[in-house]
Amino acid sequence: MKSTQALVLVFLALLFAWAGQIALGFFQVGKLEPILNEETNYTVPPVPSGLAQTGSRVFAAQGCLECHSLSVRGPTGSADIARGWGPRRTVPRDYLFREPAWIGSSRIGPDLSNIGIRLPDANELMMHIWNPRLKKASSTCPPHPWLFDLKVSGPIIEKEALPVPSKDWKQILPTYQAKALVAYLQSLHSDYSLPEAPLK
Amino acid sequence: MNAPLSSFSKSSLASLILLIGSVSWALLGAGLQVLATLQLLVPSLAYLLPIPWIAYGHLAPLTTFLFTYGWITSGFLGVLLILIPRISGIPFRYGKLLTSAALLWQIAVLIGVAEIIWNGATGLTSLPFSRSVTCLFLASFLVLGTGLTRGLGRSWKSGPLLPRLYLLAALLALPLGLGTAEILLRGGLAPGALQIIAQLVWHSFLHHLWLTPLALVLLFQLLPTLTGRPVGSLSLGLLAWGATIGLGGWIGMSLASEGPVPSWLQSAGVVATILLAVAVWGNGTLLKPLLDGKIEECRRQVALRFLAVSLWSYFVSYAWLAFLAIPGIRQATTFTVVAQATQSLLLFSFYGNALAGAIYALLPASRTVGWPRHPALTIHFWFSTLGIASVASCYGIAGILQGLALNDPGVPMSTIASYLRPFLSVVLLGQIAWWIGQLAFSTLFFATLLKLFESVAPVAIFPLPRDESPSSLNPAHH
Repeated sequence: MKSTQALVLVFLALLFAWAGQIALGFFQVGKLEPILNEETNYTVPPVPSGLAQTGSRVFAAQGCLECHSLSVRGPTGSADIARGWGPRRTVPRDYLFREPAWIGSSRIGPDLSNIGIRLPDANELMMHIWNPRLKKASSTCPPHPWLFDLKVSGPIIEKEALPVPSKDWKQILPTYQAKALVAYLQSLHSDYSLPEAPLK
Repeated sequence: MNAPLSSFSKSSLASLILLIGSVSWALLGAGLQVLATLQLLVPSLAYLLPIPWIAYGHLAPLTTFLFTYGWITSGFLGVLLILIPRISGIPFRYGKLLTSAALLWQIAVLIGVAEIIWNGATGLTSLPFSRSVTCLFLASFLVLGTGLTRGLGRSWKSGPLLPRLYLLAALLALPLGLGTAEILLRGGLAPGALQIIAQLVWHSFLHHLWLTPLALVLLFQLLPTLTGRPVGSLSLGLLAWGATIGLGGWIGMSLASEGPVPSWLQSAGVVATILLAVAVWGNGTLLKPLLDGKIEECRRQVALRFLAVSLWSYFVSYAWLAFLAIPGIRQATTFTVVAQATQSLLLFSFYGNALAGAIYALLPASRTVGWPRHPALTIHFWFSTLGIASVASCYGIAGILQGLALNDPGVPMSTIASYLRPFLSVVLLGQIAWWIGQLAFSTLFFATLLKLFESVAPVAIFPLPRDESPSSLNPAHH
């Protein structure tokens, strides 16, 4: 085999793998459009807020993806829906406005595709991020106190302060990162119907 | 062929920088990996020491990054810079440029480490660092890769063909995969679910079209040399090479189960993974006979011992991947710790042992030193091998159990976590054993470079310094 022949063969093989997956993938999932919900007159999937998009980066930076997935599988061959992780399976259109998009690789903890439905209250999410064992003593999820500021309590308790006592009676105030992370978690829900994955 | 000894020294500083970096990053990664697993095993530790940069979420991507880009890639480039000019007989020009590129690679790893520690990972599969680090990697690779490609030229017709073909494929796959992943994922060209496809394609390119071919370069070049036996059938080798290159880029799709990846792509990934068994079978048929009846030589030659384990790990890794791709098993084991078992088999056992064997075989040629007959050699081999075996087997069994439990809605998540704990204990012990093995190796490595030991048992494959004929590395087929 000549070196030029080998070079051409290798290049074609790599191009085939690349184009076969990315280019054909683009035609199938890269051109998806949001769907108009005629009842609400909003499009689905919903466009996340800027704060939620910032929160997605906090989510990745804190390594949440090491233990949590973001993909609910259908009822055939998996128990995701039976576990209450979502009302339906996740489909490519659900990821339309997720920037960046990811599915995770491990389920040491539960899937978070629909955490916005399961835990809609921002305060509860904040408490979980501060100390997951406040609500569930056996939680294996680590705390993230560095996403909060401790501030000496004055006569007025700030509205954003977490309703938990801390050392020296300081107030626990979420940082911008914590607020963004909560906004992102709240934006994770697929409680809308899509033609390819209707709600039953 | 006729290049004098001094002409090879132009690349020796570059290879030394890459190898020193590789050994150091492996040692650091091994320590951090133990710390990460300890937190997974005892979650209360995170409550006692809530420090962000040693949190599990930071350490897990950091160790994967260190092992992939710091240890294995840096090490592979280092040994290839020793190997390629000697087998081709074409010494590298521009030694200072190569040295700068080797330094740049280490700087890129260092910046990547600092970024992940302080800012956290990006969450992108196999791309946990920023765009600036990608640019540094690509700039460094442009110089190192060009140097290696140049070494391929003259020997194309005279030397063994298969290592060159694998090298050629790897040298094209890395820039193509990394460059396109960077553009698609951070250049805003891949919307929504296409980002996940792009991540899986890059993951496949990195492992199966960059690292696996490089490990096969070392196996196809060094095993015939060390055993003195030629590789049998070139046609079978070419078939296996074609299958590896043609199918390697598709394997990542078998990691997805439903979700954002179209089902035809997942099926293609499954088919590719199972068909890749053809390539592994082909290479196995070629390489296994080289080791038949060579147990005594494996005991005597530490390089051959590591390369033999690497060869067996190659079969086991791809057989394991094919097993996981079987429908039903794939659905049950997606999102479980079997991913860590696969990583242990590929990174630590297959690539890691090929790298260790190559360093043992090639460093004496580059530095004109011999390895001493020292207990650290035995410690390195046995602690590494037993460590990896226990980590991979425990993660494998734990992952299958975890998958079965996840598919039973009656089993709470806290119970599944408790199932994992006994396995994680053994994994932790295995990782500590591997760390001890690396510690022994790095002690030996640095002591040998500094010539602190009497060199009593050199295992150099080049009869340096007088006869440096590259033909001593070419006993394979022509």
